[in-house]
Amino acid sequence: MRKQLVWILVVVFLLGIGGGVSAQRKQVSVLWAEYDGLTPDYASNLEAAFEKEYSDIDLNIISTPWDKMHDRLIAFVAGKQPPDLSVIGTRWLLELIDMGVVEPIEQWISKDLFNNIDPALMEGKIKGVLYGLPVAAGTRLMYYRSDIIDKVPETFEEMLQVAQKINKPDEKFYAVGMSGKKYVELTEYAYYLFGNGGYFFEILPDGSYGKCTVNDEAGVGALTFMNDLVNTYKVTQPGVTAYRRDELQDLFIAGNLGIFLSGGFTATLLEQRGATFEWSVAPMPHFEGKPQSTIIITDSIVMFKDSQAKEEAGKFLDFFYSDPWRLEFDKLVGFPPVTKSLANDPAFQKPVYQVMIQQIPGAKGWPLMPEWPECNDIIWDNIVATFLGEKTPQKAMDDAAQEIDSIRGM
Amino acid sequence: MTKGKFWRTESTVAYLFMIPASVFLLMFMFYPIVYVILMSFFRVNKLGDLVSFFGWGNFRFMFDKPEFWQVVVRSCVWTAIAVAVKTAFGLVIALLLNVEFVGKRLARTLLIIPWASSVPISAMIWQWTYNSDFGLLNHTLRSLGVWRNPPIWLAEPRSAFMANLWVDIWCGIPFMALVFLAGLQAIPQELYEAAEVDGATPWSKFRFVTLPLLSGVLTVATLLSTLWTFNDFNVIYVLTAGGPGTSTDILITYIYKYAFQYLRFGPAAAMAVITFGILLIVSIVYARSYFREGAL
Repeated sequence: MRKQLVWILVVVFLLGIGGGVSAQRKQVSVLWAEYDGLTPDYASNLEAAFEKEYSDIDLNIISTPWDKMHDRLIAFVAGKQPPDLSVIGTRWLLELIDMGVVEPIEQWISKDLFNNIDPALMEGKIKGVLYGLPVAAGTRLMYYRSDIIDKVPETFEEMLQVAQKINKPDEKFYAVGMSGKKYVELTEYAYYLFGNGGYFFEILPDGSYGKCTVNDEAGVGALTFMNDLVNTYKVTQPGVTAYRRDELQDLFIAGNLGIFLSGGFTATLLEQRGATFEWSVAPMPHFEGKPQSTIIITDSIVMFKDSQAKEEAGKFLDFFYSDPWRLEFDKLVGFPPVTKSLANDPAFQKPVYQVMIQQIPGAKGWPLMPEWPECNDIIWDNIVATFLGEKTPQKAMDDAAQEIDSIRGM
Repeated sequence: MTKGKFWRTESTVAYLFMIPASVFLLMFMFYPIVYVILMSFFRVNKLGDLVSFFGWGNFRFMFDKPEFWQVVVRSCVWTAIAVAVKTAFGLVIALLLNVEFVGKRLARTLLIIPWASSVPISAMIWQWTYNSDFGLLNHTLRSLGVWRNPPIWLAEPRSAFMANLWVDIWCGIPFMALVFLAGLQAIPQELYEAAEVDGATPWSKFRFVTLPLLSGVLTVATLLSTLWTFNDFNVIYVLTAGGPGTSTDILITYIYKYAFQYLRFGPAAAMAVITFGILLIVSIVYARSYFREGAL
């Protein structure tokens, strides 16, 4: 009995020491997005290397698929248990600021890191306060089968002509990929809308957003063209409403699509999966008589006010943004570098990066507003209703604009 | 050592033992339920905090949306069809498994697979199965010449709804079959023998012996199935996420959308209360019929 008691005391003592040691280590949790192309090894290697460098910090990287990021983050925040840091789509930032949960980040990072980031990419700066550091930023572009397509289409009208020539549905080869199933954002519509000179909202003189404008000539024209591709010319894969963007990407990589509009990550996946056909990239097409314009998407990393380890989280940011880790990250996710020190690295001189950079001057971003996730869904549901023949493009976009203005109180 | 009177009273000790479970229930069941009910009557900020009393405002907001009523009707249709089919299939399978035949054990083991598998994983497998170009289902239908141009199951509202429904049924049949099988095995064999002596046909035996004696099990199993099916989030979320558009949304996926995608916790809470109300009424009706029949 006495011997057992001694053993119990020894175990309790050892556990106490262990607990004491771990209690001394500050915990930093990072909600981490699983980008296409980013291998799981990257996050685990980053975690191990950081903990080796900072043995007093316990880093916990919480990997999450991109399409679950928003909902998971909201569940953490609403449960009053936000992580210390999180990767976010920058378009969610206003929503988080509206909730009053994000911390201005500039004071927690080193001057070197701040100065190393291209100011043009600091979309996370709201009213002069920097809330988010850019993690990834890139314009969307056109992938095409260079072994099949001789003349690269510059306009959507040319794209349609090419599509009609190469479409072979009997051989399960479809000219243009089109996604109609929700996947994070409605990028598909943005490609055609921006290429037609349109935008989601009118921009007021003070820079704020006015009424929804998806039912103007550009918005309805863009949807009419998309619907024609799907239902009139039938040059897309059948059943567009069943395809998410990532599933469409798999179809292109499998060699079943001629043209696919996407981001830099597709190039990485094409290489990683050893695509057997020849492919190339070109600027996003636009409609005849309209200026070339595509969407630029930035993701940011933000710090939360409730973090108990802001200083340590700042150290992680400095570590993650150091050249070796950023180079590896940028190469895997396929976006051009956000840090100035890597801008001239040979890894980023490939055509895909060149096209993405070349498109930046005319590119437009997502609207930054707290209600955007709901607006996004409303527009998407109406696009699907058009594809299914339930509404005309005009009616669909009229309904979308009316509902969006209504929820925004306009 | 003599124990105090307190410890000698058995019921008091029983209450003491119940404290941990009661605290757990209060914290993790009653508190969330009460808070959701409160939320439904308040304006709620994006962090889920109550801001100001809103009366029936959240309910009115939802009632004014035609889409909400479509979702309510769809949820009821979804549950009614799924439970009816699961019950019918489950009963037939249970009757077959209650007969002696070679390979009965293997058949029972195979039956349990859909139930033992994780629902999201089953739904993902079915998602691939439904793929129009590369999926097993359409490939089989085409290869066998059964259907030359089968639908793109998840692309059209009606076929997507049916596709979701089938996966829910597929996942739920084993439970029903096993529960019915347990009920069948509890029916005394003598009753069937007596019926045979009286010249009963197989149908008469089923109608006048099996069904009445299985009614208690049937009631409990269908009630449980109704509650689970009405709240089946996994299948729809994985297969279609409520799409195309909102054509396969049921109340539970619609609540999720409002709460965690749009951060409109007030209307989401109102819908949760409505769901709770619907299921409470169903449960009470079931319980009444169960006890009236003297099943217990």
